[in-house]
Amino acid sequence: MNIFLLANEAAGSSPLSFKLLPAFSTVVVFLVALGTFAFVVWPKIAKALDARDEKILGEIRAAEAAQVKAKAAQSEFEKRLEEARTAADDMIRKARAEADRQADELRTRSQRELEELRLRATQELESAKRTALAEIHAVAATLATTVAGKILKREIQPSDQKRLVDESLSEMTSR
Amino acid sequence: MLFLLASENNPVNHVLDAPVRIGGMEPYSGLTIQVVTLFVGLLAFMAVLLFASKNISTGHESLGHRRYLSRGRIAQLIEVISLYLRDEMLAPVMGAKDARKFAPFLLTLFYLILSLNLIGMVPMQDMQAITGTWIEDAQLAVVGGTATANIAVNAVLAFFVFIVIQVHGFRQLGVKGWLEHLCGGHELVAGPKGLWLVVPIIFVVEVLGLVIKPAALCIRLFANMFGGHTLLATLLMFGGMTWAGTESGLMTAGVTLLSGIFAVLITFMELFVAFLQAFVFMFLSAVFISLMSHHEEEHDAHELEGATAAAH
Repeated sequence: MNIFLLANEAAGSSPLSFKLLPAFSTVVVFLVALGTFAFVVWPKIAKALDARDEKILGEIRAAEAAQVKAKAAQSEFEKRLEEARTAADDMIRKARAEADRQADELRTRSQRELEELRLRATQELESAKRTALAEIHAVAATLATTVAGKILKREIQPSDQKRLVDESLSEMTSR
Repeated sequence: MLFLLASENNPVNHVLDAPVRIGGMEPYSGLTIQVVTLFVGLLAFMAVLLFASKNISTGHESLGHRRYLSRGRIAQLIEVISLYLRDEMLAPVMGAKDARKFAPFLLTLFYLILSLNLIGMVPMQDMQAITGTWIEDAQLAVVGGTATANIAVNAVLAFFVFIVIQVHGFRQLGVKGWLEHLCGGHELVAGPKGLWLVVPIIFVVEVLGLVIKPAALCIRLFANMFGGHTLLATLLMFGGMTWAGTESGLMTAGVTLLSGIFAVLITFMELFVAFLQAFVFMFLSAVFISLMSHHEEEHDAHELEGATAAAH
């Protein structure tokens, strides 16, 4: 069988036998492979990888810069917000103080006016009382005098009249 | 493979190189199928990598951001492998600068060995044998086999590594530094005189090491590829051997089925080994090159020894 012959022929050689043609061919093959890879293939791959690295690094740097800018804007916003909050708090505090002040003032004025009103009313009442008493006094005196005059049938002098009135009043008061 | 192996009684024969035969003749004296496979591997290497590099390179501006993306799965695969090897494997061992400097050489080794290993897994000899029965050329053998299972091929690749290691050593250390390196380093040569006694021993070891390092690369790759394919051939021969011994169809079928299942599993392992051995060859070359670097320090050396031991 031909294949068997082929196998027998191969069997004659040792696996470790060093042949020049495969060795020389390997030199050629390797140099061609190295030349192709080192001068054509690898430069393209390395350039593309470097370009991609640069692109990615550029994107990362841009993203970092944007992040820094965003952080600055955020801190600026937060600062302004804090300022606005402080201003609002200040305004509220002032308004509250003003309202309190106005309320106090209003209350004080109202109390003062009320007190004045009460005093005036008291005074008017006292005055009216005195007037009324005086009138009563006068009427009573006149009446008493008249009655007494009639009873006594005699003319009563003003000094008598006064004494009688005082006596009457004293009696009335004691009662 | 079964077709060929059925007629053989030695699995090694299937893995060995054989002369190119067309029409029962050897038209090119000395030309072997593994040499042809070597050039086929080169063509595959160039085709895939040129295609990939074209699709990895930055596209036209009209593509926008997408121009930075690799186009196609092969390009993405090559890109991921290249990037991983350069940045995650070579850079930690050699430093970023040397990794970039030696990446073309080391990745050429990796991709070329990988191409040859993978092509070696295609049963081209069997396909030719089947084709030969149709065209009445039963001995037809033009291409096939695993080129990296040929010691001469691996020896030349290792020799290139040897050259690069020594050239890098001379450039980094200078002649005096290189000689000091062979004598155990400057610390030993300029150190206490009592230590000079060990210098000749270290010199012999280092000089042997100059050869042993690339020789180890060569033999490791050869042994793995040759051994793996021999194991596969052995498994696939069991059916034929059973038939020859028992002439029982049932038993032959059973053994063939069982050995076939194992052969499939071993083929998957061989696929892994194809990648692994290409990586190991490249990685150890990087380790050996970096050992000659000027910035070599004690802890680096320990790390590299650890890495070497791990790769072994």
